[in-house]
Amino acid sequence: MADYVGIDLGTTLSGLAYLKPDGNPEIVPNADGERLTPSVVYFDAHEDVKLVGSAARDGGDPERTIFQIKRYMDDPDHVVKIDNKDWTPSEISALILSKLKRDCARIVGEINEVVITVPANFNELARKSTIAAAEMAGMKVRRLVNEPTAAAVYYAHTQGVQGRVLVFDLGGGTLDVTILEVAGDSIRILTSEGARHLGGGNFDELLLDAYDQQYRKQVDAPLYNDERQRRRSLQAAEDAKKMLSKLQRVSDTIGNDTSGLARIDLSREQFETMIRRMITRSLMLVEQALDSAKLRTSDMDHVVLVGGSTRIPKVKTMLEKFFGKQPKSCGNVDECVALGAALFAKKSGRIQEVCNASYGTLAMVYNAATGEEKLMNSIVIPKNTVIPTSRTQLYQTSEDNERVIEVDITQGEDADPKYVDVIGRITLEVPPNRPKGCEVAVTFSYDENQRVRALVVDKQSGRSREVAVSYKGAGVLSDEELKRRSTHLRAMRIE
Amino acid sequence: MFKKVLQSISKSLNRQQTGPLPTAKTEAAKREVIGAVVSHPKPSAAAAPKPDAVAAKETPRSPEELCGITPKMNKEQIRDHLKMLYRRFNQSASSLDQKTRSEADTMLDAIVAVREKHFGQI
Repeated sequence: MADYVGIDLGTTLSGLAYLKPDGNPEIVPNADGERLTPSVVYFDAHEDVKLVGSAARDGGDPERTIFQIKRYMDDPDHVVKIDNKDWTPSEISALILSKLKRDCARIVGEINEVVITVPANFNELARKSTIAAAEMAGMKVRRLVNEPTAAAVYYAHTQGVQGRVLVFDLGGGTLDVTILEVAGDSIRILTSEGARHLGGGNFDELLLDAYDQQYRKQVDAPLYNDERQRRRSLQAAEDAKKMLSKLQRVSDTIGNDTSGLARIDLSREQFETMIRRMITRSLMLVEQALDSAKLRTSDMDHVVLVGGSTRIPKVKTMLEKFFGKQPKSCGNVDECVALGAALFAKKSGRIQEVCNASYGTLAMVYNAATGEEKLMNSIVIPKNTVIPTSRTQLYQTSEDNERVIEVDITQGEDADPKYVDVIGRITLEVPPNRPKGCEVAVTFSYDENQRVRALVVDKQSGRSREVAVSYKGAGVLSDEELKRRSTHLRAMRIE
Repeated sequence: MFKKVLQSISKSLNRQQTGPLPTAKTEAAKREVIGAVVSHPKPSAAAAPKPDAVAAKETPRSPEELCGITPKMNKEQIRDHLKMLYRRFNQSASSLDQKTRSEADTMLDAIVAVREKHFGQI
């Protein structure tokens, strides 16, 4: 049995690594002999089988093929309809995890507990969906760990670096920036910032538009008319993107059965112009991370590249210009997250993490100086607080004879309630006939497994209520439903 | 200087509830998982002004207008303002609410356009 297993459940590629007896992590190849498994699922129309990986990506009917499901893990309304059955992103992810578990168990033995990596800015629903996916696949999640943290653990392990490290993780679907400090064998995370829908997949779509424009100019017809043609063209665009990381120009011939072929010519300069705004966004995230950690560029000892999209030369030059030093690659940029997750499974005790988000409550905030009163997001645990932690804030009731105190639990940094999510609510019944101004203490605790608890204490009556803060809104399966689908999934043929 | 006053949120926001409120329990120190949170937890339009991006329905607004950049702002103020907006809308891009996410994308594009205009392209 493998004791320490890490899984990178990626947007484009997924990988599983385990810790060898010598303390070094190693990627476990799947049954197709590949070190990484494309995160693609194909539902066959004729046989009761779900294909996962390269076979799903390369051969199937695109209408029955699911790509990049991770992009929807945080969307409570997203479902995939196949043969009149609705599949949630969590269930699709469970199929990918099942393939990894089954294939890799043949080599390393039974896999029961795992560390799974998630983007730093995954919200409550996405984290919960990831855990649910693992449970459906028959694995207990020991810990979720942010992807750049895992990559940094691997980098520190292999390079033996010390000092402050900024990890720039640009993958297929997300960008994460983490700043951490390495001292001896210990790692202290200072901040993690993430950007959704900023990754290689977005660059591919931009290139696809360029292909389509050139094709239309030459043939006077669209490059694709259906999903199958679009998928083929998108694959060609992705290949061109990879070539443009090595060459200054690429030429391609592309077309379809109805309108014929056309020659596509693209230069690296054109590609860099296309993605320029996304690169600017990525730089703004780096600035945000530095601001969060109250650090300057000169405070960074190392800048580390993770994720396939960091192979793009423009990404490297942008970071080099900004930091005034050459960023270094984290070994194999595609595998280091999984490798780091396996290390994390063993070393988590020596890694100090921080809250991924701020937690608080909505409250009327009264400014005694101006007399103004405003509804605000009142933060109790700020983002980047070292965990585990517990913080208390005192509030006052605002109305006479208030019988029920309602405390909304918010997730988000912004003071403006419009820009935060309410992920739970506590109600506390209090005695009648009390004037306004009674003190209420709200305590939030955040443990190392990223579980949040909230305690509300009415100081006058002594009544209190404590809850595990857990998003139970749309998109989350009930425990019963999770169990039922889990049983169903384990009986499926997954290849 | 700030004094926080806890308020019954449903009263203060006057918002529509999409599901029944949780029933208040009287037992002290009861431990349980919150089971009935609102599924669309944003405050109602009546309670809070809409974000700039949404208010611009009649006439298309420039990126600078969307970002609230005024001619009186100096470079440093613009930089700080853009940083604040980026943090806000990058966070909103991961919201549980689809409409909020979509508005955030529009704003992020505008923020980058303003940055490029005032501070040059990368």
